[in-house]
Amino acid sequence: MAVSLTVNGAERVLDVEGDTPLLWVVRDELGLKGTKFGCGAGLCGACTVHLNGQPVRSCSTPVELAAGAQVTTIEGLGDQDRLHALQEAWIEQGVPQCGYCQSGQIMSAAHLLSTNPSPSRDDIVAAMTGNICRCGTYSRIIAAVESVAADSRPDQREDA
Amino acid sequence: MTMNRRAFLKAGAGASGGLMLSLSLPGCAGIQPGYEPETGEWKPDAWLELTRDDEIYFTLARVEMGQGTYTGLTTLIAEELEVAPAAITPRFAPAAPEYRNPLYKLQLTGGSTSIATSWEPLRTAGASAREMLKMAAARIWKVEADACTVRDGHVVHANGIDSLRYGQLVELASKEVIRGEVSLKPRSEWKLIGKQGNRLDARAKSTGTAEYGIDVELPGQVYAVVTRSPRYGGRVGSFNGDEVRAMPGVVDVVEIERGIAVVADKYWRARKAQAALSVSWDFSDALSLSTNDVFEGYRKAADEDSGESERSEGDFDDATEAASTVLSAEYAQPYLAHATLEPMNATAWYQGDRAEVWAPTQAPDLGQIAVARVTDLSPGDVTIHTTFLGGGFGRRLTQDFIEEAAAVSFKIGKPVKVIWSREEDTRHDLFRPAMLHRMKASLADGELTGWHHQIVGPQILDWYVRNAAPAQYPWAPKVLYNSLGSAGLMFEGIATPKDMSAIEGAIEYPYGVSNIDIRHTHTDPGVPVTWWRSVGFSHNGFAVETFMDELAHEAGEDPYQFRRKLLANEPRHQEVLDRAARLAGWGEPLAEGRARGIALFRSFGTYVAQVVEAGIEHGEIRVHRVACAVDCGQVVSPRIVEDQIEGGILFGLTAALYGEITLEQGEVQQSNFHDYRLMRQYERPEVTVDIVDSEAAPTGVGEPGVPPVIPALGNALFALTGQRQRSLPLTADA
Repeated sequence: MAVSLTVNGAERVLDVEGDTPLLWVVRDELGLKGTKFGCGAGLCGACTVHLNGQPVRSCSTPVELAAGAQVTTIEGLGDQDRLHALQEAWIEQGVPQCGYCQSGQIMSAAHLLSTNPSPSRDDIVAAMTGNICRCGTYSRIIAAVESVAADSRPDQREDA
Repeated sequence: MTMNRRAFLKAGAGASGGLMLSLSLPGCAGIQPGYEPETGEWKPDAWLELTRDDEIYFTLARVEMGQGTYTGLTTLIAEELEVAPAAITPRFAPAAPEYRNPLYKLQLTGGSTSIATSWEPLRTAGASAREMLKMAAARIWKVEADACTVRDGHVVHANGIDSLRYGQLVELASKEVIRGEVSLKPRSEWKLIGKQGNRLDARAKSTGTAEYGIDVELPGQVYAVVTRSPRYGGRVGSFNGDEVRAMPGVVDVVEIERGIAVVADKYWRARKAQAALSVSWDFSDALSLSTNDVFEGYRKAADEDSGESERSEGDFDDATEAASTVLSAEYAQPYLAHATLEPMNATAWYQGDRAEVWAPTQAPDLGQIAVARVTDLSPGDVTIHTTFLGGGFGRRLTQDFIEEAAAVSFKIGKPVKVIWSREEDTRHDLFRPAMLHRMKASLADGELTGWHHQIVGPQILDWYVRNAAPAQYPWAPKVLYNSLGSAGLMFEGIATPKDMSAIEGAIEYPYGVSNIDIRHTHTDPGVPVTWWRSVGFSHNGFAVETFMDELAHEAGEDPYQFRRKLLANEPRHQEVLDRAARLAGWGEPLAEGRARGIALFRSFGTYVAQVVEAGIEHGEIRVHRVACAVDCGQVVSPRIVEDQIEGGILFGLTAALYGEITLEQGEVQQSNFHDYRLMRQYERPEVTVDIVDSEAAPTGVGEPGVPPVIPALGNALFALTGQRQRSLPLTADA
């Protein structure tokens, strides 16, 4: 079937089976490899993209449900000349180890900050708990998100 | 590691007129077919290449799987070459004898060895290039080379005015000959080593542009998914190939040694077609046991065979006879999966007289063997392109994923990408072995006088040598591959090193006890096993450090002081133990419902002590804090050391809290992250890492964070509840 969707601002019309997960459409039909396959069951968050501004697990989202929608992937979050503030923070804090989960982590964090520019530590932890990092970069992720969050005054932070 | 620095360095002009440096690591002589060190011919796979355009390429022979070789090894070159690390472009090494790990004589990344084995050679390579550039500039300026200095990619004249870019000098420099040893920069002049720097791969990994194996795409590529026997060792009986072949997008359905591959034009179509595949399996030689059988087998083996003596001092039997108290305990530890976040995958392209493979592998030369095994090619006909790895932890030392992609490409003649599902990745892993430990110790008047440790379980080389042995005998015809594996075992200690995988960490028991008896009862239930982050240290750490805790309580002593007293002759152990205790506020009051546990373990040459603060809340174990002290010798990248240790701690806690692969009638019961759980953000403890400032030779940090945290948590739970848990994973309701 023909599915039309807008990916990172560009309208795309694709001839794919409607039950194909959005993940494989983004990766293999559109060549946007930054979004990763981790579990295929919405458990790890490596495949997180934004669908009409909401974070979704693209591995478990049939492309037909995204028809007509706006999709944003890690490639559309910033561009190479002007990265998203979170990407800059990720680099500055040296967050990635193997790096495989980090596109999904950044997409979850970006949604958090777009809806809650001054999150508390608890808000950040809650927003990021759906994204697994096997390397254990969790503390650097918190530091990176907090460095970008507005009003992130050190005296409001609290360690676990 | 000491070595003659000149003996392994070759320099000369590259094809592009630049300067190329090649390193030949010791221990590789005689196993390098086609390698002619005397011809002076420079291969494109030299270690370091400086071009006339001021580009600097560094061939990274240890893969990047998160542990930081991309940054750490590049930093070693940059330090001596006097350039910013970011000015160097690392390139992943192809499979070639020059890039073998000198400790293993295979091109492996593992065993926390990358920094330790690269420390001398890579700094020497950087220093040699620097000296040759200085010599070239001195020749132009007609001054002594020693009068020239280097700074940020330039050689600077003694007059402080004239300078030449490296790019302007490389052609001349390639003709220079270094006489005598090159001198490495003294510690006081280091600008990068031991200093805070950024990860060189952070940008690519934060923008989605880093290429992992799963991202490789070739023209005309098809996708394959493989249905494997649900029980290890099962063989294909029959399958409904014609029916599946008729499904949309299916290119072919082929039988390979490891199962049935469904090949389609798109990944999702391959998966949908796979769901319609029905295979009848021949289980006559398949695994049929359950987890309980494994441990019953271990107990029976332990009763019947006291095992091979691996360390014996004094007389343990005498010690028990003279003792006032003899304490015994048995610890059981489960099979564990690796659960790398990037599932197993590989892309292979068989082209008749050669093959190319793109894969996230920890052992490219074993990838060549895997391809040769399932095609009509020799290992030398196979090119391996290594990508970034989405986690490794030992899993990608085994090349089954490359073997599958190559076998399918050989059958259908197209480039093939094989991707494992998470469920396949979990069920068809090779596991950290389940192990049983029997401990016994004697106390006389509160003093520990005897230590007995019987380790019961398999050895990993038994499983690995089939893959690894042919790489050490490149002249051997393929028909001998399987028997080479046996030969490797037969001549263990000669052809292959002694297998330490079951006993490492146990035989290095550091405490000052006069009577020591450490044994290994070798028994293998037939469940596939392999290296898993920290390997034998992972289970020996739990056994040794839990039993030490039991003994401290039996002796009525503080567990920290009990250990400390027995480490009088082990200053590096004692130092990290003291630091961890201090960092954690050992002995200070805690919030209601919390307790601390301590443990100490040296692995891969690195000393690590940890104090865990934990409680039980809402029926779940809650780890609040981990205080950790580490002595890994000279630190190259402090942030990466912290990250690796913290990552190791979370990896260990994940195992301690949730890690368990179980078998039912030969079938693995776990499949995905709902039943093989990994630690999440909300469960993260606050981790503090204190690094000892040391000038000792650097040791590894990728694995040593794992072993002590498991017993430290168990010891904290004992302090909290008074109940000793002797099997893993730990539970809240013990």
